[in-house]
Amino acid sequence: MSLVRRHWVWLLALVVLLAFPFLFFDWSKGRHSGFVLTLMSEIGVMAIFALSYNMLMGQAGLLSFGHAVLLGLGAYCAAHVVNLVKAGTIWLPTELVPLAGGLGGMFFGFVLGWLVTRQRATAFAMITMGLGELVSAAALMFMGFFGGEGGISIDRVMDTSLFGVAYTSPWQVYCLVLAWAFIAAMLMRLQTQTPLGRIANATRDNFERAQFVGYDPRIVRLLQFTLSGFFAGIAGGLYVLIYEIVTFDTVSAAKSANALLAVYIGGAGGFFGPILGTIVVVLLQSGVSLLSNAWLLYVGVLFIVMVMYAPGGLIGLIFMHVPIWRIGRLRELLLPYARAFPPALMVMLGFVLLVELLSFTTIGAAQGKKFAIGGNVIDTTAPLPWLIALAALVLGALWIRREARGFRERWDALIEDAKRQGVVS
Amino acid sequence: MSAPAVELKAVTKSFGRTEIIRGVDLSIPRGERHAIIGPNGAGKTTLFNLISGRFPVSSGTIAVNGRSTAGLAPQEINRLGLSRSFQITSIFPRMTVFENIRCGLLWSQGYRYSFWHLLGGQKKLNDAADALLERLKLGDRRNLPAGLLSYAEQRALEIGITIAGGAEIILLDEPTAGMSNSETDAAVELIRSVSEGKTLLMVEHDMSVVFGLADRITVLVYGEVIASDVPAAIRGNAAVQEAYLGTVAA
Amino acid sequence: MEVFVVSLLNGLVYGMLLFMLASGLTLILSMMGVLNFAHASAYMLGAYFAYTISQYIGFWPALVIAPLLCGLVGAAIEMWGLRRVHRNGHIAELLFTFGLALIIEKAVQMTWGLLPVPYRVPALLDFPLFSIYGTHFPAYRAFMLLISALMFGAIWLGLTRTRIGLVIQAALTHPDMASALGHNVPRVFTLVFAAGTALAGLAGVIGGNYQVTEPAMAFTMGPIVFVVVVFGGLGSLLGCFIASILMGLIQTFAVVFDVSLADLLARFGFIVTKDTPFAEVLTVTLPRVGALLPFLMMVLILVFRPRGLMGTRDT
Repeated sequence: MSLVRRHWVWLLALVVLLAFPFLFFDWSKGRHSGFVLTLMSEIGVMAIFALSYNMLMGQAGLLSFGHAVLLGLGAYCAAHVVNLVKAGTIWLPTELVPLAGGLGGMFFGFVLGWLVTRQRATAFAMITMGLGELVSAAALMFMGFFGGEGGISIDRVMDTSLFGVAYTSPWQVYCLVLAWAFIAAMLMRLQTQTPLGRIANATRDNFERAQFVGYDPRIVRLLQFTLSGFFAGIAGGLYVLIYEIVTFDTVSAAKSANALLAVYIGGAGGFFGPILGTIVVVLLQSGVSLLSNAWLLYVGVLFIVMVMYAPGGLIGLIFMHVPIWRIGRLRELLLPYARAFPPALMVMLGFVLLVELLSFTTIGAAQGKKFAIGGNVIDTTAPLPWLIALAALVLGALWIRREARGFRERWDALIEDAKRQGVVS
Repeated sequence: MSAPAVELKAVTKSFGRTEIIRGVDLSIPRGERHAIIGPNGAGKTTLFNLISGRFPVSSGTIAVNGRSTAGLAPQEINRLGLSRSFQITSIFPRMTVFENIRCGLLWSQGYRYSFWHLLGGQKKLNDAADALLERLKLGDRRNLPAGLLSYAEQRALEIGITIAGGAEIILLDEPTAGMSNSETDAAVELIRSVSEGKTLLMVEHDMSVVFGLADRITVLVYGEVIASDVPAAIRGNAAVQEAYLGTVAA
Repeated sequence: MEVFVVSLLNGLVYGMLLFMLASGLTLILSMMGVLNFAHASAYMLGAYFAYTISQYIGFWPALVIAPLLCGLVGAAIEMWGLRRVHRNGHIAELLFTFGLALIIEKAVQMTWGLLPVPYRVPALLDFPLFSIYGTHFPAYRAFMLLISALMFGAIWLGLTRTRIGLVIQAALTHPDMASALGHNVPRVFTLVFAAGTALAGLAGVIGGNYQVTEPAMAFTMGPIVFVVVVFGGLGSLLGCFIASILMGLIQTFAVVFDVSLADLLARFGFIVTKDTPFAEVLTVTLPRVGALLPFLMMVLILVFRPRGLMGTRDT
């Protein structure tokens, strides 16, 4: 029973995640919503990927711009393994395909890590970016391993399941993703509590001091990079099972950037930040991209706002409230928040309107699309919508600056009280 | 007859054209508490950086426990049983005080780069870390991020990380710099107790600390040793007085 | 032989273009510690600005105005963005410029569209300067060489003959110096950042019609410029120069020599067949791997000289 008490968060999450797709269950046809399941599977895979990225960025302070290389190479390995199993050359249960991806990712993590972990900080960032470009270019060039532009296709129905599951439906795949996501997340969580995990923190904080307590920072970085490759590879293996194809865009800079954006927006400090960030980024990516050409712009702006005003990410913002909650006065923030809400909404709507107007005059027009809100087509060449958008943006910004002052006073007073009560360390 | 704990022979160090260390010979027997004093810019910290492997020597040899440290990285010298502290506090600011100490312990307890031990279950390790925290009087700060400690507490933690690994040779770089009188007294007691039965080499400006702790004192001026003797002899040494007080003895 | 001369000139043109970008990046990186991911975005903006300006008042005014506009954008970024992020550390600054690069790319897409814009070489320079054995060398490339050479003359004079130039030079080799300079450090930073951005903008103006002006140009150029900076060694302008020229030459000559590793092995009597291990890697020809070469070079230099060609410091 103590096991349940200690791990109730994980168990609760598991139950919620298993139940959630049923909200979208089509009872008349008796089947799940394929879109929701694929979306959630994607979130699961990207969450593992983001967590593995956080092993570098959050834990070891290594800012990689080529992390997708490990995801993609793991995916290619898994795809080849699946095809070998299909051909009868080797035997492997479907459930263990992600492990094959993981081992592939680990292998490349070690080889590439041997090159890149000689450096840290800025040089590390530049070199991982170069390496990412190298692998993406190679992926288009070499047919044998990467399959060129067409990529490598697989058929995930292999009849080798340990549980007799065929993996013909998205639901079965989703369950597999969920299982691996939990295993990987738990392993990564445990890894933070091992000597290597702690020393990785130490080299992040002060790599020179780590040397003077007996550790070689380069080896720490290399091992951390290799392990991170293992988990990224697991994500890659799952990716292959979901989409049944792996192409060069799994190793691309855009995928690497996704991990970076997710981890930073969510918060690199804690363990749950990257998961939260992944959910936000994937939802923006899949949801907003249906409506707008500019989803990456919104993610980029969100990212910059986070870098400038909330370096702790979303999780950091939430945790800032903990001291006030502890002294039981969170309620006093309700009014200030309520007052800041309308101008914030105004700025946001003004900004979105402006971006969409711009996007529809150029890209949308080129694609023959019309800008419509609730069925009303808006003429993007008329001055009125532009003026409204601009006015909302400017007035909202001025208004929010006024509100911000009051909010800040209230906030500072509450934090001050919390400090006096010894809640804030 | 065992080899001295630390032995320097004709060590020099130049940065560009400036020679900071100009031929230093120094031998520190095991178990001695040894202080290095000298005016600012004499090269004391540089000497520490050479011994601990932070910089390579320009010429000459350094041996730790009879073994040459030429070409060894700092971590390898550390594993020979030599540990150092820094003049400018060097801790792991985002980790808790307890984690800081535990990181200092890990290598010496044989965990190496393990990613298969869970630290929560390593009772012996954690008890050792907690015991050291008590000795440092940082027990009530255990779970605070080290970056939030007061200056004196950070200095104590710095010493704690340095000695955690149980090194036989301890190098302390101005351990009491910037402390108030009462803090200095506490630090001296701490240093005395942690260096019990070990070789201590320290750089210090506070003469009461130096004369209270050291068995032997070396005076370094412009990269050269002008005297190395027991405290009483140093006190009466004319060359030392000249270097320190600027009076012309002759 | 004629191929060699023309390739040499082309390589030089491309190398100088790279140096225009890489020198600004190195200056900013060495002085401010900021790895500016948006540097290639300034290159792209320069090209687009020049395109728009040249539509209204012609190429020659654009040659002056577009880089100045880029410089202004750079100054604004430094004053209102970077300076605020600065206290969160270098990594935050880097991430800030990374986000900026994303936003600029999208903004360019939304302003000028997804497709390449017809930014052309001015008619005045659109003629072959000379031809060797039937291969033309366009006058515009000579003009590019001239502009970049003039630019470097100006920078060199600026760095060696002016007070601020000496300060910048000092800060290049001794980054800690920058903090010891006193009260006008922020101004020096803004100046360096704006100048670096303007230089990248100029590279965009003369490079945009030499290559293609499209929204992806920043993200294709960016990594190559990074490679140049890593290859040359952080903090060294001379290393940066050598690396740029080398990279330009390598990329141009790679297109010309239609050989593969298999051909090389054949000379030693080793015939590669389809069954040879790694046959695909061995038989791929040099022009096809042209795009890979800069990154391969980076890997090689890292293995043998982790600090780069002339680098004096880590990170």
